[in-house]
Amino acid sequence: MRLGMVIDLDKCIGCRTCTVACKSHNAQPPGTWWNRVFTPGSSHHQTAIGEGEHLQMSFLPVSCQMCDNAPCQKVCPVGATYTDERGVVLVNYDRCIGCRYCIAACPYNVRQFNWEDPRKAKERVGYKEDYDYGYPTDVRDKQGQLVYTPNRPQGVVEKCTFCFQYTSKGEDPACVRSCPSKARIFGDLDDPDSEVSRLIRDRQAFRLKEELGTKPKVYYLPASKPNR
Amino acid sequence: MAINNKRLNGVLAFGIVLILISLSVWGFQLKQGLIVTDMRNSFSWGLYIATFAFFVGIAAGGLIVSSSVYLFNLEKLKPLTKIASLSAFACSLAAGAMILPDMGRVGRIFNMFLHPNFRSPLIWDVIVISSYLVVTFLSVYFQLLPDWKEEGRGFWNGWTKKHSFEEIQAFSKKWSKRVAIIGLPIAILIHTVTALIFATQASRGWWNTAILPPDFISVAVASGTALVLLISLLFAGKDRFAEYHDAFKILAGIVAGALVFHFFFVAVDLLIHAWWGKPEAHELFSLIFGRYGLVYATEILLPGFTMIYFFTQKGKSSRKSFVLGSVLLFIGVFAHRMMLMFPSFNAIPLSLNINGTGIENWAYPVAVGQYQEGVSTFVSSWSYFPTLPEMAIALLPFGIVIFVVSFFLKKYTFLPGKKVS
Repeated sequence: MRLGMVIDLDKCIGCRTCTVACKSHNAQPPGTWWNRVFTPGSSHHQTAIGEGEHLQMSFLPVSCQMCDNAPCQKVCPVGATYTDERGVVLVNYDRCIGCRYCIAACPYNVRQFNWEDPRKAKERVGYKEDYDYGYPTDVRDKQGQLVYTPNRPQGVVEKCTFCFQYTSKGEDPACVRSCPSKARIFGDLDDPDSEVSRLIRDRQAFRLKEELGTKPKVYYLPASKPNR
Repeated sequence: MAINNKRLNGVLAFGIVLILISLSVWGFQLKQGLIVTDMRNSFSWGLYIATFAFFVGIAAGGLIVSSSVYLFNLEKLKPLTKIASLSAFACSLAAGAMILPDMGRVGRIFNMFLHPNFRSPLIWDVIVISSYLVVTFLSVYFQLLPDWKEEGRGFWNGWTKKHSFEEIQAFSKKWSKRVAIIGLPIAILIHTVTALIFATQASRGWWNTAILPPDFISVAVASGTALVLLISLLFAGKDRFAEYHDAFKILAGIVAGALVFHFFFVAVDLLIHAWWGKPEAHELFSLIFGRYGLVYATEILLPGFTMIYFFTQKGKSSRKSFVLGSVLLFIGVFAHRMMLMFPSFNAIPLSLNINGTGIENWAYPVAVGQYQEGVSTFVSSWSYFPTLPEMAIALLPFGIVIFVVSFFLKKYTFLPGKKVS
């Protein structure tokens, strides 16, 4: 099994629902975003580029690309970043030493560091005292490695886990479930009959920074026409 | 005027003060997190890693000087091999120490030994720098043995009691030579592997070049030799300057020669980026010649001056000229290390061309990792400037080098016939 995702840019409306769902389901502290959506070419999201009658706008969601040839995993001196048996690149929060080599290595800038204790960050921003968000309990993989905890330890790196807490039980990640236009499709790339495999075959799918040879498992279906 | 004991005491105390300042601010950082630095997700390595690379560089001198004595028969350098080894030992200790405050969870450092990932250049850097630390220490130790025997002091030398002075002297000579020869490839490796930490990363165009390891070696030979020159010059003092003037001239020659290679590598690297003219290269050039033009000018012009100066007779004529050339070189090399970071982290790897709009190389914004009211969380560049706590913590390796060098110089005999009075 090789879990992967297809994002249909024809369907993405740039609403950032996936970004918010991801953030709250995974208890990301203020300033930390595992999943981003921007309007390529524009300094402001949801703002068209071009001139006169030739205005256009498209959207590009970016989270961990779940590379098969993952530089973040190769540079990690202690093997805290690893790929599990389903092809998901994960971080063991118990092992990470916080050297941030992986952040320098990742071509997609998806890795986020806990520059301070997330509890302190939440407190400083002034969230209501009893406001707590995110999957509430620790999640460990089959080997017992800590791949999710609501408040990550200060000084470790974190990133998208393909919602390990859900997908390890056969459910879809939060971004896939929350997308109002169903632009995200999740499935097994090894299964030629899966919807993701079919879409990649039929729709001229592309991957980000393909020339770097990182072999991402997140595929994009090109927008057939720019939004105007 | 020679460095006397009183002066050395002052230097030693200065080193201790730097270490204490650094350690106390480090304590503050351990509590607050790396948020006290100006590093963020988009600019994730800064002053600490640059300082680390600087000290790895100047650690080269020791074994390069000692090895040259044996490999190229530069007998005139022989009196300086002890100081050279000492400076190498102190600098590699300092480089290793600088890494610790950069780690988010330094308490887990044992994971490097429990779960090493041998595909990571970082693990190899730990291995080679530790080996270098051992080798340079042994080099100092073996060279001090005969003096210790004669003076009846020292440490870990109880075993020498059973042997005659001549035997210990022969032993010291034999093993100093062996260590120098084993040490040379390790000295080359610490720069190669440190450079490979950066050069392997295809996501960062500024680092991703095979020229980086040889360039690190050339910079290391230049700056490491300059440090040996500076320390021995200050230690020998005015009175004995004439005695070692020829040795100093050779060292300055090595510095200038190594810089020729460095500038050759720099020129080839820039030329290759410029010739093809990718949008990424345009961005890189606007960073190094525009936004960071001043730092880059420091990196190029100061060592450039030193190179030319040390080729002239004037540059090699007096204590002042040696000090001037070396100090300018250190400033330039430090700027060079900082310039590993600035252009790299301000060129966002995920940059896109938007066909049909004329927009090339649009940087996909990065979440910085901190929320502040009125400040954008998503950025496509970060004006990194080290914070005060960060600068204070980065004093650690400087303190260590000053402390270790002055401690040993004070306690033992490092120049033949010279006793600290």
